[in-house]
Amino acid sequence: MIRHVITAFVLLNAIVLIVTYLTYVERKFAARMQSRIGPYRVGRPHGWLQPIADALKLLIKEDIVPALADRPVYNLAPIVFLIPSFLIFATVPFAPGLGLADLNIGLLFFLAVSSLEIVGLFMGGWGSNNKYALLSAMRAVNQIISYEVPFVLTALIPVLLAGSLKLSLIVEAQRGLWFVAYPVIGQLAFVMFLLATIASENRVPFDILEAESELVAGFRVEYSGMKFALIQLAEYTHMFGVSCLGALLFLGGWLGPGLPGPVWFLLKALFIFLLVTWVRWSFVRIRVDQILGLSWKVLLPATLALLMATGFWVALRSGHVA
Amino acid sequence: MSLEAAGFWGLALVLLASSLAVVLSKNLFHSVLYLALALVATAGVFLLLHAEFLAAVQILLYAGGVITIVVFAIVVTERLVGERLNQTNRGVAAGGLVSLAVLIAIGLFVMRAPLPHAAPPVAGDLTEAIGRNLLTRYVLPFELLAVVFLAALLGALFFARKEE
Repeated sequence: MIRHVITAFVLLNAIVLIVTYLTYVERKFAARMQSRIGPYRVGRPHGWLQPIADALKLLIKEDIVPALADRPVYNLAPIVFLIPSFLIFATVPFAPGLGLADLNIGLLFFLAVSSLEIVGLFMGGWGSNNKYALLSAMRAVNQIISYEVPFVLTALIPVLLAGSLKLSLIVEAQRGLWFVAYPVIGQLAFVMFLLATIASENRVPFDILEAESELVAGFRVEYSGMKFALIQLAEYTHMFGVSCLGALLFLGGWLGPGLPGPVWFLLKALFIFLLVTWVRWSFVRIRVDQILGLSWKVLLPATLALLMATGFWVALRSGHVA
Repeated sequence: MSLEAAGFWGLALVLLASSLAVVLSKNLFHSVLYLALALVATAGVFLLLHAEFLAAVQILLYAGGVITIVVFAIVVTERLVGERLNQTNRGVAAGGLVSLAVLIAIGLFVMRAPLPHAAPPVAGDLTEAIGRNLLTRYVLPFELLAVVFLAALLGALFFARKEE
């Protein structure tokens, strides 16, 4: 019991630290892509104290609650938004035996808990009593209903190949060959997973719910100070969590030569995060109808077909089909 | 009191309070949030019974999916269209009568059913057992459910299509 509490405490703090620095990595990465330098002034070398300075700044900013906001809902929203994004790490195995709880239903737990995030997001959008926020929350619901299905279906492909929902077993099944390297199936599934990931993280080109040019900042437009910081933290934590999931499902988690397991795992998660960031800073936002059309008309049938094909392949290989 | 019992009573309290709040809250949106809490607490009860798979599915489908759709409906009607949805009506007596009848019916069943005093031992991987049974022993009801869903989907399409 005590051991679990300590592990959880260490894990939580490690994640907060990693996620804080992910924002720094993203800013530097984006700056490089645009021939800028990015944060440079705070801390030597290369402004490495910038995330800490940002966090401190947000801590001491004034907390403003709109007069007509639905107060309890408005105040609770950042917390409800934050909890699931941290909870998803409960089942993530960073290395064999290094994780909080390697559940039998690890993947399902991950998907279930991350689907709760929409509740917090919507509380924020509704509670602010702001038209932009509400429109953004509406768009979020639209998008999340649409992309939840292909996201779950692509995540099921590694499950079929590994024959288990347990994340550590899925990684162990990739000892010979990472799932992303499986001919045709692997690459297609990985691309679809990335697409669904970007949509579930609400990033460009799927960022209609924050769309700076039309909705200001979306559902968080009324939030300031620490509440805003919590929402940002939750978003980046979720991104990091989904990147970890991608590393576990397709890139063989902690497997790799030379370096220790957790290092490999974090490098792979970082790779997926940077892939998504690369897409974010390269493309433009697409329209709502294009986003929904892509999900229902292209991604959903494609993932279903791929799932069927994977099923047949697994059955053929195991000799159940003559 | 054991940890499990404490967990159960805690969850039961949350479950009852949030369920009551669903009905008693005057604000429709708050009702939905309490409903989400009640559904998550139900998943917690499943977890206490070592039914992890069921708990995860409960959260994924109900707390994640159903709540989203309900919220969607409320926002479309109440905020964007501006139509006020009524939360109460005058049929308190009839409603009370029906609730009482349901309570008595459920109570009778529970009293008659032989309840085990300890959780039955779990053999092997429950998730695998559920999957295996759904596709072998219970394959007919499982497939029938799929047909029902398909019918519901077609019905929704029928109502949503444009009038010609």
